[in-house]
Amino acid sequence: MLTENPDYTVVAVGLCKIYQMGSSEIEVLRDVSFSVKKGSFVALCGPSGSGKTTLLNLISGIDKPTGGQIEVLGQNVNELDEDLLAEFRCNELGFVFQSYNLVSTLTVAENVAFPMEWRRRPEEEITKRVTELLEMVGLGQRANHFPAQLSGGEQQRVAFARALANDPRLFLADEPTGNLDTKNGEKITEILQILKSMGKTVIVSTHDAEIVRLADQKICLEDGKLVSQNE
Amino acid sequence: MSSAYFPINDLLRRKLQTSLVVVTLTVVVSSTLSLLLFSERLGFGITAHVEILTYGLSTVLGQFVLFLAFLIFTIGAVITSFIVFLMMKQRTRDFGLMKAVGCPNGLVFGYFMTELLIVTVLGCVLGVVLGFVADFAASNVLQFSIYQKSPNYWFAPLVFFSFFALSLAFGAKPLLDAARLPPLKALSPMQYFSLGHANKFKPLSKSGLVLRISSRSLFRRGSATIRIIVLLSIVFVLLTVALSGGIIAEDTTKLWVAKAVGVDNVLLAHNIMCDQYILLLSKFFGENGNSNFDYSDERFALPDEVFQGLKTLTGIEGVDPRLVLTENVQELSSYMIDPETLATIPVGDNRISDVIVVGVDPDKIVTESVTKGQFLNTSSDWNAVIGDTVMDAMYAPDLSKKIRVSDPLLQSIKIRDNPFKIIGVCVDPTNNGNVTYVPLKKLQNVTGILNTNIALIKLDSSIDRAETLKTLETFVENSYPDFSVFDLNEVLEKDIMFLGSTWSIVMLLPLLTLISASLCLVGFMMLTADEQRQEFAILRAVGAKPNTIIAVLTIQSTTVLLSSFAAGISLGIITTLMILVPNPVVTVGTIAEVAVLLLAALFGLLLLSLYPAVKLAKTPILRIIT
Repeated sequence: MLTENPDYTVVAVGLCKIYQMGSSEIEVLRDVSFSVKKGSFVALCGPSGSGKTTLLNLISGIDKPTGGQIEVLGQNVNELDEDLLAEFRCNELGFVFQSYNLVSTLTVAENVAFPMEWRRRPEEEITKRVTELLEMVGLGQRANHFPAQLSGGEQQRVAFARALANDPRLFLADEPTGNLDTKNGEKITEILQILKSMGKTVIVSTHDAEIVRLADQKICLEDGKLVSQNE
Repeated sequence: MSSAYFPINDLLRRKLQTSLVVVTLTVVVSSTLSLLLFSERLGFGITAHVEILTYGLSTVLGQFVLFLAFLIFTIGAVITSFIVFLMMKQRTRDFGLMKAVGCPNGLVFGYFMTELLIVTVLGCVLGVVLGFVADFAASNVLQFSIYQKSPNYWFAPLVFFSFFALSLAFGAKPLLDAARLPPLKALSPMQYFSLGHANKFKPLSKSGLVLRISSRSLFRRGSATIRIIVLLSIVFVLLTVALSGGIIAEDTTKLWVAKAVGVDNVLLAHNIMCDQYILLLSKFFGENGNSNFDYSDERFALPDEVFQGLKTLTGIEGVDPRLVLTENVQELSSYMIDPETLATIPVGDNRISDVIVVGVDPDKIVTESVTKGQFLNTSSDWNAVIGDTVMDAMYAPDLSKKIRVSDPLLQSIKIRDNPFKIIGVCVDPTNNGNVTYVPLKKLQNVTGILNTNIALIKLDSSIDRAETLKTLETFVENSYPDFSVFDLNEVLEKDIMFLGSTWSIVMLLPLLTLISASLCLVGFMMLTADEQRQEFAILRAVGAKPNTIIAVLTIQSTTVLLSSFAAGISLGIITTLMILVPNPVVTVGTIAEVAVLLLAALFGLLLLSLYPAVKLAKTPILRIIT
């Protein structure tokens, strides 16, 4: 255990990530250490290529660090096998990517429902929760549409609804407003505000000043190094 | 960038896709070439020239091979079109990308056309080489003389250019389509995955998530899904015909031969005559006969005392004395009345041929030929039963000689100016079916040869066969040293082995097609996996286990395979039973054997098709996303 304190959701010590590109090595993260308190809203800042997405990938267990340790919700995610990691992500994490978020063959409602189906929740409960979440993101009328029939902003809101389906303890979002216009960006910010008010632990990588303003904690990266960590 | 450098490097970079196309083409070309070489070696063509088997058996096999050749070529063409289409369709995106960055249309087209030419030439050349290697191996493994003929090399350019042209035509189409597209459209997944344009259907809305994703993805790629189902259906028709048809036809034809030669029969004849009779039976598997043999040589006459002596021996069930002669016989024409016009129609002509005529005593026959019509049952009538090859040579309609109607069962055969009414046509391996049976007494009357020159002896199967055979040999050796006894089971085994090996090769060739179809299925599943790549990454990032990905692709593969299996097997069974084999011998064992083999093929295909799924499931999420 990196810390015995249950108040911390994420604790990272000396994280390193090196990608092998042919014969050359690219060091994306260099000795990054930080911790995130339970219920805090964290903005992950830094220019493009600074390592924000890589850090989110390490937190979610999508990628493994080359060095250092990371503990998420008391679990050392490096030590979990693929099946346990999948269960962990399904039950404890909500993740929104910058793009390519939805399964195109499923309707909006089905996209929101499938993480709950994996947990084998009763059908009535799933239906109720899907309606609730779609109302929350303002897409109640679009439940039976396919992703291709939605705008980019709407798709991103569906992705938020899906990420919240299993009521995760940790919510991660990778530049959620990066591909959106101002109006849709505002809607996403509103949803993030709701999450904050719900007391969720949220880590968002962003360039958006509005989102940064919501943050309790700001982690800044530059060239893979942690340059500042303000609470 | 040199114009040759890019295509070669691009092909080398996409090792799996390139090798999949090259291997598929190689297998398709080689299986088609092997079948053609083998058919030609055995003389199965539009005009069957009987040097082996009999006319009837050649017809059954020839018809079978022709049907298989048709299916193999059709599948080859469909597979070639499909795999080349898949390969080039997937390049639509690259085409768009290169055009978008300013590469001239003609140059991009040239790059991909060069790639297409390289894989096509490579696949076709390797296929031709492998085809000859397979043919060489088959002819060396099977030691029958008929297989030792040199192959017809003209088939090589024929097969090469057929498949080369097919590949170019089908491969160039998606490239030409891509060349006409603006870069933006070429970059759309709608183009390079051949997706449907809208998700209007929601099949299996109430089913589980995995089933829902699988079915909708299949629906969305309707065009490619239908193509692969059609392709696999034809493959399963081919497999069913080759396996069930092959096994049933093999069993049936083997039974015909076994009955005609007779199981547990022994030949007794003068040493020279004995060799000649064995040669007559061995012509079935390609041995050359002696056409100038004098059957009427008095030395060959079996003494009456032999038959008296045989009666004293135990373990003998029957003795069938025969007079075997070679005769120049003549077809006798006949007439029939047209039931509608009541006009008289001439039937047949007066064709002449040399055939082996066998005089038999209908009461003592120890063999049983499969006969259309009936076999000889009395010695008193001037009846004859002709072999199927005689029927083909002398009693078939021949428009070049203006013989429009011919039916042996309405006609007669003239032997030394004596007409014998034909009452049956039999399948008999003796002299490749160029044989005619008549009552022994009538033959003796017309030829003046009053003795017999061979005897077929049926041994009692309930008594120790080896012991009886030894007693018989001792009896003949001691009393008639110029005569010998020969166990006909030896030649029967060779006849049946030849028939078996021929059927085996015929049945083996569709396996090559199965291999290429498997590769095609793998190609289709790779396209399927590739198309859903991003979505699988999302599913896994959100919490799907790697097995979920395998499950989705397994359902898609199983759906495709089972649809094809159902359609292919039904059509295959109908074709086999209705068209290919008359009076088939079908046992429970045969059905079980065919069922096991077909299910094994299905299972094998399913396992192979899962390779892209397993590979994708093992790929880290990050690598899938990027």
